Amino acid sequence: MSSQPERSANHLTLALPKGRILEDAISLLSRAGLPITMPEASRALRHEFPGVTVLELRNQDVPVYVDLGVADAGIVGKDVLIESGRAVYEPVDLRFAPCHLSLIREVGASGPIHRVGTKYPHVARQYLAEKGIPAEIVKLNGNIELATLTGLADAVIDLVQTGGTLRANNLQEVDVLFHSSARLIVNRAALKLRRERLRPLIARLRELVREES
Amino acid sequence: MLGVSSVPATISPSAPLLPDGTRDVLPDEWSQREYVRWSLSELFRAWGYQGVELPALEYASAAHPLDSRAFKLIDTGGQVLALRSEFTTALGRLVATRYPAGPFPLRLQYGGQLWLRAQTSELGRLREFTQVGAELIGVATVQSDIELLALARAALDRVGVKADLEVGFPGFVDAVLEDAGLSGAARDALHDAIDRKSGADIDLAATTYGLSSEVTGVLHRLTDLYGGNEVLDEAGRMAQGTRARAAVSHLRAVAQGGDLTLLFDLGVSRRYGYYTGMTFRAYVDGLNQPVLGGGRYQLANGLPGAGFAMGLERLVRALPPGLPPHPETVLALDLPALHAAQQAGLRAELAWTDNRLELKTYSALRGIRRWVQGRELTEVQA
Repeated sequence: MSSQPERSANHLTLALPKGRILEDAISLLSRAGLPITMPEASRALRHEFPGVTVLELRNQDVPVYVDLGVADAGIVGKDVLIESGRAVYEPVDLRFAPCHLSLIREVGASGPIHRVGTKYPHVARQYLAEKGIPAEIVKLNGNIELATLTGLADAVIDLVQTGGTLRANNLQEVDVLFHSSARLIVNRAALKLRRERLRPLIARLRELVREES
Repeated sequence: MLGVSSVPATISPSAPLLPDGTRDVLPDEWSQREYVRWSLSELFRAWGYQGVELPALEYASAAHPLDSRAFKLIDTGGQVLALRSEFTTALGRLVATRYPAGPFPLRLQYGGQLWLRAQTSELGRLREFTQVGAELIGVATVQSDIELLALARAALDRVGVKADLEVGFPGFVDAVLEDAGLSGAARDALHDAIDRKSGADIDLAATTYGLSSEVTGVLHRLTDLYGGNEVLDEAGRMAQGTRARAAVSHLRAVAQGGDLTLLFDLGVSRRYGYYTGMTFRAYVDGLNQPVLGGGRYQLANGLPGAGFAMGLERLVRALPPGLPPHPETVLALDLPALHAAQQAGLRAELAWTDNRLELKTYSALRGIRRWVQGRELTEVQA
């Protein structure tokens, strides 16, 4: 906290995921009236704009920063938000970065599922419990599909965007857990404390999303 | 023979010093905590709230609202015990057994540690934490709601914490859902979506349960029902049935009778099955976390109750600098000087040796700038 520069009461701190979503997020927020631009490629992780600070984070960390109040608001995929289990407000579906989370198996696989590989252990545990599948969950961090192909797991729960990876690897979606897209999330206290800035921002984002879809 | 290792003994990483989510409190923070605790208990007492202490060990019960998250222990007789995880349930037990006939209203205050085993255990949430609070039992009037909001405001002012007080009414959301003809799983799902202000999840539920666009529109409006007094006007326009209308007129009476600056959020519906009336919390700028929370509920024996608890750890973080005031600490070279210094409002430590060099080194380390001697409190060269 000591490293924070002096800020006005209405200053907004935003948590945005680095990478692909960042560009879409910044473009949408600037069209919604925030004075922010895509930062120059640099090693800076915190970008200062008039009245707005942008924190560039790994997407899994966005709900953490917003829930614990270090950031007032952020943008993150619904998949990451559900996995985080964080109690934040999520007032706007921004509709970009669409994908869905699915149970995936090799084409033709029909045996019992004993082990599931996934980047989403919380979501997977809840889904398997609801379906009554007594499978063990293995937390993996990338190229999840390999787990079924190599026999590490009988199935995987992972994001599907176009389905290209699945087709190329002889895999198929057996079930869809939920559909995801980018969400505006807001800290519960910040929405009230900084409502003069956040309320109009939410309204403008809703209009933009409606116009553009 | 092998030489003795020059590596100092370290603590093995497999045996951490403290369990996750617990911490030591060191003197600076300790004095802030004691200051807050003392200030608040004095304030509550001035409003007629008598103090009670409650055991930290309780019988585990599936009916306890936090049972699944409480630490459990096994007693010598095999009974399952739980570490206290919140105060209201324990206070309800105390009221039912110790004050079955009142007199009501009964005003009680409490404070102490709480433990949650399954606190979302990532950084930033403690599993052992401290709350102080006050409960007003046996009455459910507009005046008693106003009293609690006024007491909450006074408590925040007393410790110099600038906060916004926000009032909600989970039963209002439930009444609007009921008036829209929703029940069962649909109602539960929508409570959850509305509490998270998730427009997308409201739309998802609308598709799943086949809701009309008119009903869906009403649900979306619930997520925008936050702000100042204007919220009550909007809620009044939305209220159809008697329950919803009663909730709004109750809140109007509270808002008008209290002369308090309040925020409202009528989209709050967390624990709507538990709270029977208003709920409220306090937000501190710069902390983005509530420092106070409470509401109206019903005790197990049917008595109405309402109250609030304040999180000590968060309050201390929100405390303005310079609180509590720190009197200077001096080094007293003899006992009469110690007493004289204390009478003059200073803190004094007694010299344990005549070795001036030793005392000088210690004084430098402790930041002690003055030495005193004798009944007359003479300053001597440090």
